[in-house]
Amino acid sequence: MGDSQYSFSLTTFSPSGKLVQIEHALTAVGSGQTSLGIKAANGVVIATEKKLPSILVDETSVQKIQSDTKYWSCLQVFLSFHLLSRKLSYGMGPDFRVLVRKSRNQAEQYHRLYKEPIPVTQLVRETAAVMQEFTQSGGVRPFGVSLLVAGYDDNGPQLYQVDPSGSYFSWKASAMGKNVSNAKTFLEKRYTDDMELDDAVHTAILTLKEGFEGQISGKNIEIGIIGTDKKFRVLTPAEIDDYLAEVE
Amino acid sequence: MSRGSGGGYDRHITIFSPEGRLFQVEYAFKAVKAAGITSIGVRGKDSVCVVTQKKVPDKLLDQTSVTHLFPITKFLGLLATGMTADARTLVQQARNEAAEFRFRYGYEMPVDVLSKWIADKSQVYTQHAYMRPLGVVAMVLGIDEEKGPQLYKCDPAGHFYGHKATSAGSKEQEAINFLEKKMKNDPAFTYKETVQTAISALQSVLQEDFKATEIEVGVVKADNPVFQVLSTEEIDEHLTAISERD
Repeated sequence: MGDSQYSFSLTTFSPSGKLVQIEHALTAVGSGQTSLGIKAANGVVIATEKKLPSILVDETSVQKIQSDTKYWSCLQVFLSFHLLSRKLSYGMGPDFRVLVRKSRNQAEQYHRLYKEPIPVTQLVRETAAVMQEFTQSGGVRPFGVSLLVAGYDDNGPQLYQVDPSGSYFSWKASAMGKNVSNAKTFLEKRYTDDMELDDAVHTAILTLKEGFEGQISGKNIEIGIIGTDKKFRVLTPAEIDDYLAEVE
Repeated sequence: MSRGSGGGYDRHITIFSPEGRLFQVEYAFKAVKAAGITSIGVRGKDSVCVVTQKKVPDKLLDQTSVTHLFPITKFLGLLATGMTADARTLVQQARNEAAEFRFRYGYEMPVDVLSKWIADKSQVYTQHAYMRPLGVVAMVLGIDEEKGPQLYKCDPAGHFYGHKATSAGSKEQEAINFLEKKMKNDPAFTYKETVQTAISALQSVLQEDFKATEIEVGVVKADNPVFQVLSTEEIDEHLTAISERD
């Protein structure tokens, strides 16, 4: 990967030893809409704000939570920010699509070879390797997304976060985006190891609600869950509204 | 070669600035506005209509060759707002891709699939330094077999969304404000209402009444899903209907 016209890396060390392009990419992620993931005892939930730039946008055409195989999912953080007096929502949605496509390919290749679904750690490792390549190859910039990967395999429910640098960690609960510090504090207080999936969904909603501007509803958040059935699915707006009603 | 802190190159190629921005992509958006044209798209209950200004800068130009509205296949149309040359490459590649899709899979390329393809190509230009982003916002319209009328907008950043109504170009924000008011209660426009909403939105935002030769209108209708560019006479009918209505 990388382009011969630019046979040098655009991400290079600064005098203080930092890879500044990666830090800038993390800044891009940090200005995105809040997202979070929670690992329960019997499943994983990931949730995100889905604020669209205008009511004219057809929300059914937008899906921020994508599944890779039937078994799991990635979630990205959109960068949307204000340029002068207008909202210029460009973002790292496009970068996310690239990573989803590559992960889906990797999952399929594994399945073709081994005739079983790819373990979560393996997929995370391979996706992270791709992201790392783009921090070192010639003529390309790092991805402006962090991924929250939720899955359920033989090792039980797992939640991973992958950063633009290509480093990844397993989390019990994690958040990212604009409201990250408040969200993480909230999660630290509320997280218990024996949480059930339903509780986790409620906690996820409450965490999103904390920093939410405006009226939260099934139309402006997106939630994905995977349980012991190992089937990942995105909740419909109606289901989210039900959970919201329970929470209130 | 100290590129570590961006060293000023963050404005020249698509690498991150310290605030996490991609200046080249932002400048591409500005280039779309600099073209001086505004376009509007409206999706109705069973039709989609796009309208754009037709500015012919020189009387000696052959007006028929000045266009921003391109058929991609018989059933898909593309309205390109921004730099004309970039628009033509995009259209050329989209036509190729749609034709290959039809050949490979045996059915017509759907609107959202084409839009995704355009958006994914644009994303590559935002990540690889050797090609700049295109200074074009593309509105793709067509009738989807399952979902009905569809209007998608793809921008230089690689974003694409489906829209109930949208705008692009120099007066984009004013037009979107106008359209948001009109579409607030999810109206289900008929074909005539769709076209007239689009044209009157453009007229209101630019604050001038058009002659039929000063705008281009493209439509797709569910009962006849072929992409059509309206003739001057047809545009005139709609303009007359609008002025009589007001």
